[in-house]
Amino acid sequence: MSAIVAKGVSKRYGPTLALDSLDLEIERGEVFGLLGPNGSGKTTFIRLLAGYLLPTAGHLEIEGCDAVSESLKARARIGYVPEAAPVYGNMRVREFLAFMARLRGLPERRVGGAVDRAIAALALGSVADRPARTLSRGYRQRTAIAQALVHDPPVVILDEPTNGLDPRQIIEIRELIRGLAGQHTVVISSHVLPEVARIADRVAILLGGRLLGVRAMADTPDLEAWFLSVA
Amino acid sequence: MRTLGILLRKEMLATFGSPIAYTVAAVFLLVLGYTFSLTLFATKVANLLYIFHQMYVLTILLVPALTMRAIAEERRTDTLELLLTAPVGEVWIVLAKFLSMLAVVLAMYAGAISYAVILDTYGSPDWGPIASGYLALVCHASLIVAIGLLMSSLTENQVVAAALTLGTALMLWFADSVSYLLPPPFDVLAINLSLIGHFKPMVSGSVFVSDICYFVSLSLLALFLTTRRLAER
Repeated sequence: MSAIVAKGVSKRYGPTLALDSLDLEIERGEVFGLLGPNGSGKTTFIRLLAGYLLPTAGHLEIEGCDAVSESLKARARIGYVPEAAPVYGNMRVREFLAFMARLRGLPERRVGGAVDRAIAALALGSVADRPARTLSRGYRQRTAIAQALVHDPPVVILDEPTNGLDPRQIIEIRELIRGLAGQHTVVISSHVLPEVARIADRVAILLGGRLLGVRAMADTPDLEAWFLSVA
Repeated sequence: MRTLGILLRKEMLATFGSPIAYTVAAVFLLVLGYTFSLTLFATKVANLLYIFHQMYVLTILLVPALTMRAIAEERRTDTLELLLTAPVGEVWIVLAKFLSMLAVVLAMYAGAISYAVILDTYGSPDWGPIASGYLALVCHASLIVAIGLLMSSLTENQVVAAALTLGTALMLWFADSVSYLLPPPFDVLAINLSLIGHFKPMVSGSVFVSDICYFVSLSLLALFLTTRRLAER
């Protein structure tokens, strides 16, 4: 069964058509990469999946919930890391994760355990009691990913998750995302082709708000050549 | 209700953890203490009418500094994206922000209760107008906070949000002044929109349902519009 179903999904900002009749199905448990240059519509689609935006036209379903008429239910099934990796600077990392866990509907008795697991999974132990505003870029990114995983959602949406990270951190985040496959459906957007090639099971290329193609990585030995041929 | 509690706790931490709230409260109480002493020594009359009007003006001038960050800052730092992608209704987000800001203003007002206590210690004030005066101030604060939230939701620039709140409050304050320029029925509308027109009777001890309805309905309208603004996706 598909975790995400998009049928004719369009998004318009005033006169600008940011996403044009997108049809796409993402299977449960797969890591799905969205590729495209800046302004291609990746972030718009990611934000539609996350429920931050609503489609102007078309039908979008997250884990069987309509993204428009069952928006709250759909949002309860996702974990989302925005591109800027925002965190509440006045909260300590542990407080922030507990706040996000509660906000995403986790019962109170499970919050403590969930926060401990997220801290362990993202290796945040050394900064768990520090105010989030004092974190380095790498730890901030990890904290943002931890808040998306803390409530163990079936769908995890990551917008440019390796932005601004050093090579070691990129490898760690990549391994973490690969580790999520199977248990979670992961949608990741990036404009770094080799990054997506290493992580994703399937990739889609967006350009000018249109879906140019979808391919399994197993059938795409040279992602760069394919990208250049269609984009 | 659990959602409101979670959001309210977060807002309280942010509001009372910020130096802005303490600065605003300090300025408010300092100016008020100064004018209270001057008035008391000059008139030697045990009433708080003059102080209530001071509080009315200070609320209009200082509350925009409190509310300007409420939503604009969340939009600027992208944390609004976290809130709006969580499975919570926008109304709870707005309500939590409204209640936390109102709590700061009410805490400032609570500090001013000491003036009533001083009057009671050294004189015999009429407690009726004092009680209705505080009711008027709570209604007034609710409206200014609600307007501040609405303006903060319209922009990510805090200064613009503060200026819009101040401008709107001043326009409402002086709405009745333009009534003589307007043809019927707009002149009546302008008079009825006047902030001071609904504040004055209440602060003088005459509590009318129509005045309370004015503050409650305009506050609810501003909160509704703020919620709609957040729900725009």
